[in-house]
Amino acid sequence: MTKTKVDIDNEIQWCPGCGNFSILKSMENAFTALGLEPKDLLIVSGIGQAGKTPNYMECNMLHGLHGRALPLATGAKIANSDLNIIVNTGDGDCYGEGGNHFLAAIRRNIDITVLIHNNRVYGLTKGQASPTAAFGMKTKHQNRGTISSSFNPAATALVMGAGFIAQGFSGNMKQLEYLIVEAINFKGFSMVDIHQPCVSFNKINTHSWYKSRVFDLNDTDHDYSNYENALQTVHNKNHKIPLGIIYKKPGVPFHERLDVLKKQPLLKYKFDGAQLENILTTAV
Amino acid sequence: MVQDISILIGGAAGQGIQTIGALLARVCNNAGLFIFSVDDFESRIRGGHSFHLLRISTQALTAPCFKPDILVALDEKTHEYHKDTVSSNGITILNSDENKKEKSDIYHIPLELLAEQAGGKIASNTVAAGAVLAVIGAAFKDLEHVLKEQFMNRGKAVLELNLKAGKSGCEIGKKINFPLSLDFNPVQHQNIVMTGAKAAALGALAADCRFFPFYPMSPGTPIISNLAKYADQLPMVIEQAEDEIAAVNMAIGASFAGVRSMTSTSGGGFCLMIEGLGLAGMTETPIVIINAQRPGPATGLATRTAQADLLFTINASQDEFPRFVFAPGGVIETFFAVKKAFFLSEKYQVPSIVLMDQFLVDSAKTESDIFKIGNEHESFLDKETKVYQSESYLRYKITETGISPRRIPCNSEALVRASGNEHTQKGLSFEEPENRNIMMEKRFKKFVLMQQEMSLPQVFHDQSSFFLTAWGSSKGSVIEAGLKMRKEGINVGWIIFEDIWPLDFDKLKSVLKNRKLVIVEGNATCQLGSLIRQQTGIDYFSSVLKYDGRPIYPEYIIKEIRQTMGQ
Repeated sequence: MTKTKVDIDNEIQWCPGCGNFSILKSMENAFTALGLEPKDLLIVSGIGQAGKTPNYMECNMLHGLHGRALPLATGAKIANSDLNIIVNTGDGDCYGEGGNHFLAAIRRNIDITVLIHNNRVYGLTKGQASPTAAFGMKTKHQNRGTISSSFNPAATALVMGAGFIAQGFSGNMKQLEYLIVEAINFKGFSMVDIHQPCVSFNKINTHSWYKSRVFDLNDTDHDYSNYENALQTVHNKNHKIPLGIIYKKPGVPFHERLDVLKKQPLLKYKFDGAQLENILTTAV
Repeated sequence: MVQDISILIGGAAGQGIQTIGALLARVCNNAGLFIFSVDDFESRIRGGHSFHLLRISTQALTAPCFKPDILVALDEKTHEYHKDTVSSNGITILNSDENKKEKSDIYHIPLELLAEQAGGKIASNTVAAGAVLAVIGAAFKDLEHVLKEQFMNRGKAVLELNLKAGKSGCEIGKKINFPLSLDFNPVQHQNIVMTGAKAAALGALAADCRFFPFYPMSPGTPIISNLAKYADQLPMVIEQAEDEIAAVNMAIGASFAGVRSMTSTSGGGFCLMIEGLGLAGMTETPIVIINAQRPGPATGLATRTAQADLLFTINASQDEFPRFVFAPGGVIETFFAVKKAFFLSEKYQVPSIVLMDQFLVDSAKTESDIFKIGNEHESFLDKETKVYQSESYLRYKITETGISPRRIPCNSEALVRASGNEHTQKGLSFEEPENRNIMMEKRFKKFVLMQQEMSLPQVFHDQSSFFLTAWGSSKGSVIEAGLKMRKEGINVGWIIFEDIWPLDFDKLKSVLKNRKLVIVEGNATCQLGSLIRQQTGIDYFSSVLKYDGRPIYPEYIIKEIRQTMGQ
């Protein structure tokens, strides 16, 4: 088995101390645990610090536009449902620029795993507030504090009917690796919203800030198969951050909703000119 | 002798105008007659005023005629709007219960009443079709045959009703005096009546396109509607995306993964797709986009026609990358243009855009060419059997042609890396200036080869004193206008652009030089004229422009030419 490793001829551009290093490492460990080799992996990404991720791994890669990783991944999965597709995206990329696609991907239950690097700021454009920034958070560009309330990804995903919702933390790699493995193993749309500090631009939600707020759902009586339970967890009133699988309920993924894709991947059908000609000329 | 009859059927949206047109077209096709029809409708589902313009001839047609010989007015409004356009020998059939006759060429027929007598008001369109057919020389049996086909699966009662209604219409139509008549005896032929939308759909299927992500927007949607009926028979997926941005990105994702993909939209949706178009350019991923133009900007005229996205389409996106642009001139041309768009997009790993418009999408025309689809299908994926060790495959390898060996992900040991960021040969993001230059030059190496793939416009009547010069869907009207003017002794030729971008501009210059060009197109600023001037330095003589949202009819061109040429 080839271990997925950081590509040596591509210098990693993240700031020293960035949570992305832990996410990258957790991904590697998860792929190794699953026996996934680089040739078995398609990593699709958007734009932002998170979008750079596949550049630093051995994998097949489609590094697209800001906010558009999900439609790219959706198209690739429809073309070839055998693909193992992982999406690396950020809070701005996925919930801001690509918010519409986030909702649509859940509705389609497209069988991909989405890893959202959520640090509550736009790290690549120097620290503007992202949709997950707390209401009133001050930044250079929101110098009187944000005037929009914060976006709740897990709650949104839950009410939209997502089948696998987890929250991870870059400061807890062991658990993150487990969550990534579980997400990839899940048949259907799976997301891991990964809390991480931004050492350069987020002076509020620091590593220690997270440390004092996170707790493991495994240490509670949380039942991830119970919707009501999950609903209470995502509406956490005591400002603590639950980590782990919030909700898990398998449904029929997109490629099993269509007969043509159920039979075999779209890519694999043979071109049959004679049959095509017959169909096109008779059905006037 | 050539017989040529034009019919305008008008009424409110929801009255079934197109149903009447479709019945007439089928009866005509059975008799080996040629039709050309186009729909004119408002952006509403009920009410207002719409019409269907149908032209029938004993010889192949290239354009509609806006001077009807028969006006079928399903409501009074239609009569008011169109009474002055009826030809001098023409008649009007007015849907009216009043049994009066104030003018000899206006026939009041109570369509609903006759349908009710046949068994149901719903069949009034069949009464109208029967009446018109009888007027132009058809017998009831000609219609009977088509009605049986059409209502075969709708139950005995529905069929009986329509047969009775059709017969009733024919009987009343027979009594109408009309100078022109066509031969409706059935003949053996292989003609088919097809719309531009359907031709585009079939062209894509013939090119092995299997994925159609789209977001609804008039007039781009009928292309997808035409595909839907094959969805159970062919390996294909039609997916309504959440927006046009998603549609184009889904197409790129699927194509990257190895399935040919196309999306269809109109100008507004195309605007939203532009960043994606750039991504296809940068990642060198083949995709085909149909931009069915309508007047804008913004919402403009949602259900109308225009040819005003020419320069936009050639230039759309930030920065520069090679692309193909096609603008088929008619229905069968659309089939071949879409096929070619796929072929070249795959061969050069660049996006292709096909410019249509509402007029072309909704034009139905009798075509006698038969679609031939070979069993061999050319793939432009890397045919080398070379086994790559992981990172040794170069998705963006520098080659003499600029075309790199394209593989699909997770299909071999070769790792396929594509990026919208400037990248190395391996596909990894890289910002060094030398690499940037190398990659820009690599992508543009393809441009010169692409130019040689595109056909230059043909010059008709080479020795003419001036040339109607047009692109895309104006072709048919320009040809008919040109032929008519030549008959009147005007020394006119024509030049039609259908392969638009990139052309070999030096060769284009020698085609166009020393000719008096009169540009004919559906926009306000003479975009084709500007393009010719920009690329060849040749200035055009004058222009016939139209931007009212309606098609360019041959009569309009002739009238305008008479004015500008002082004839």
